[in-house]
Amino acid sequence: MIWVTVSLAAATMVGMAVTMSYILGWANRAFHVDVDSRVEAVIDALPGANCGGCGYVGCSDYAEAVVAGKAPVSKCTVGGDSCAAALAGIMGVEVAQSWPYRPIVHCGAHYDDRLDRAEYHGEKKCSAANLVAGVQGCTYGCLGFGDCERACEFDAIHVIDGLATVDYEKCVGCGACAKACPRNIITMIPFKYERMLAVTCSNKDIGDEVKVVCKVGCIGCRACSRFCSLFHMEENLPAIDYDKYCGDFMEELSKAVQKCPRKGLVLMGKPSPRDQEAVSDKTLPRVIEADFKTTVDDTEWWG
Amino acid sequence: MLYFTDIILIALGAALVNNFVLYYFVGICPFIGVSRRIDMAIGMGFAVTFVISIAALLSWTITTFILMPGAPLSKFVAGWFMPPDAAAKVDLTILSYVVYIFAIASSVQFVEMYVRRFYPSLYRSFGVFLPLITTNCAILFACLIIFSHIVGVDNPADVWDLGKSLTLAVFGGVGFTIAITIMAGIREELELCDVPQSLRGAGITLLVAGILAMAFMGFTGVDSGLKKAMTPSPVQAQQSSRE
Repeated sequence: MIWVTVSLAAATMVGMAVTMSYILGWANRAFHVDVDSRVEAVIDALPGANCGGCGYVGCSDYAEAVVAGKAPVSKCTVGGDSCAAALAGIMGVEVAQSWPYRPIVHCGAHYDDRLDRAEYHGEKKCSAANLVAGVQGCTYGCLGFGDCERACEFDAIHVIDGLATVDYEKCVGCGACAKACPRNIITMIPFKYERMLAVTCSNKDIGDEVKVVCKVGCIGCRACSRFCSLFHMEENLPAIDYDKYCGDFMEELSKAVQKCPRKGLVLMGKPSPRDQEAVSDKTLPRVIEADFKTTVDDTEWWG
Repeated sequence: MLYFTDIILIALGAALVNNFVLYYFVGICPFIGVSRRIDMAIGMGFAVTFVISIAALLSWTITTFILMPGAPLSKFVAGWFMPPDAAAKVDLTILSYVVYIFAIASSVQFVEMYVRRFYPSLYRSFGVFLPLITTNCAILFACLIIFSHIVGVDNPADVWDLGKSLTLAVFGGVGFTIAITIMAGIREELELCDVPQSLRGAGITLLVAGILAMAFMGFTGVDSGLKKAMTPSPVQAQQSSRE
């Protein structure tokens, strides 16, 4: 009588299937959630990295905000222009023009320019050295221990002769260096052009005090703000209004650059053809491979 | 009275002494995966408790009425086609695993719909772990414990009824909640600690889970001691009968 057992087993499974699917079907209707089909479309169009660069918890959160009209379509830095265009297509809106954000180091002093430096034997990190008074005369400028270099995942910022220098060809604008800097001298600005003018000093002290600690620091002479309306003085430092920054001001800006007595206004960004020409006869230094027997492991562990 | 003692012992055993996670090491994947924050851990604990209760209810009902040899429903249906003594021997216990997985999957689906409708933030924080309860061994484990106390028990008085089965399931879920919440508390503190690079993430979590399990070994014997204290000794029983 094996067939009775077999058919009973089959009947049990079929009965359960019918019952469960009835219950679940009822629940599906009772607990129905209206999901905007556009939300799913937007989630599909986003990179799905869940990096939080847009300021929302993840891609799905941002997608909901976009569909709800609370967020602009161009917030995704990872997806860039193509992603913004795709989102705009789904939402049926125009993409407002957006610019990539890139970091600018507001310090222009190399080792030789900094005065009053003391020997520092502590941990070779900016965050540690920043806690100690008197490592260098300038309490605002770059310390040169390379916290930003370690923070960068893209090998795009390097300490060159004691000064953090951004490699704009590699930089993707993630902002990790700006977060890592304990002195907050790295800021993210919209790069409306390949090269942007920047104030390379963060010292807020008055001119005489700056001259004591730095050969190139801003002395707060206000020459730039007199020649160009884009500058305004904040605590003895000129600040550039990047919202208004555009080609119309080029003449004023170049005048301000010429008048700066400390040469503290510098164009930053990708190298121009002229720069590349100037160094074309120089050969790259031989790359020295690290010897792992002698180099120190940078594992952060202090027992 | 004896029934009440059994219930207390089952509850205590499932929640603390033989904790599902820390004694039997079942249900480790949500235990490691969702124990990052306390509120999420508690939510996961409640979800598992809820699913485990529904699954236990379903599996007890199905086992008792359909699967076990001589179950009323299958005996009745088989009685149409075969003599009564043969019908009483119809044994559908081979179906136990597939039926339990079926019941668990359905109840997880139900819970998922419910949570999605009424607790959207909890739904988001669960992510993939809510569907993963489906394959959570803790729940199947509870079903199989109940199965083992229904099928193949010699003394008919020892067969678990619905009350005992549900107690095991609910307090097993409570034990899971206790374990995952303690774990989440430790892991929140652990975020601030300087863990060696090679142990970060799952490594240190499993070490902590092991130490936690050792701490729970301290409950060993509590149930048997309690059983001794709660069952009247033969001498006392004789005295009370004489009076």
